[in-house]
Amino acid sequence: MAGLYGVASWFCCGNAWGPCGTAGHGACGTCNSGSYQHAWPNTSDACFAITRPDSCGEYLNRRTCGFTHYTTNLCNGRRVATQIADCGPQTDLFCGQTVCCGGTNCTWNRLIDFTPAAFSALGSLSSGVLPVLITA
Amino acid sequence: MDISMDRRRLLGAAVLGGTGAFVGATALGSLAPEAAFASGTSEVAPGAPDPDFAEGRVTGIEGTLLIVAGSDGTRWRIRVTNGSSVWKLRPTTFGAVRVGDGLYARGVRLPDGSLAADAVWVNIVNLHVHVASIARNAVHFDHRGKRIVGWVVPGTSAAVYNDTPPIADLSLMKVGSHVQVLGAWIPDTNEIEIATVYAAA
Repeated sequence: MAGLYGVASWFCCGNAWGPCGTAGHGACGTCNSGSYQHAWPNTSDACFAITRPDSCGEYLNRRTCGFTHYTTNLCNGRRVATQIADCGPQTDLFCGQTVCCGGTNCTWNRLIDFTPAAFSALGSLSSGVLPVLITA
Repeated sequence: MDISMDRRRLLGAAVLGGTGAFVGATALGSLAPEAAFASGTSEVAPGAPDPDFAEGRVTGIEGTLLIVAGSDGTRWRIRVTNGSSVWKLRPTTFGAVRVGDGLYARGVRLPDGSLAADAVWVNIVNLHVHVASIARNAVHFDHRGKRIVGWVVPGTSAAVYNDTPPIADLSLMKVGSHVQVLGAWIPDTNEIEIATVYAAA
């Protein structure tokens, strides 16, 4: 897979405190906030029907539960390897969302969501979103 | 020498060796959260739990040690030093943490099994929600079929519309729209304080 530039965010899953208490373990049944996992918009036909990345001009390969992606934070070079554990993000609701590193290295379209453990290995959770390069 | 390893050694030394280690920490540069994530590659296997990451609720505070009950039953001891960054709706200090707070933390595991914190995010949530209603000082969100009240905090709450810089005006959100809200949960309630809302204008 050639590298994909896009926007990353994070979500909680598994047993947890607060609004995450009822999050469940994701579409794959294995998601936990403390593990190196992520959500991918094209894990199945049902998933794709919800996330519709093609609406934003993004044509993503079908990848199923357990597949490993490698993601690099364009702002600091940090890189993590994570496995698919859920369907998401809902790309079509954030078409054109643009995130930059201080005005440079801009990416757009929400393509990947990480667990808190994985996102915090790339950057601060309080950033909310990051510009990233995704490879397989 | 790898900067991230230097920072990790200093965090460990700061916990064990006293204040002398902090001179070295500031000499390396910023203690802001972003500095904790200097370039490097994580060694954790994909799909595996990260032993340097903690999640749970604060059940006790002993000096600068947080006792945290993980949602999976793990009991964490998290050491917070002058080299740790703390976020609770905004960057803040250890004194803002309370028993009952939820948190995520990343740091360095010490030989005694405790975690020397690089960064602690207290009550942080990042929710994908629908906007149910907008009032002067609060926004009501629907999240997974439940209602969440998002309080607007003057001087802190901001909105990012499309790709514009954050602004304090949250009124451009549309009722019925889907947004992402980063905020701080108010423990044992269905309420959050809003840090940033990402929305389409």
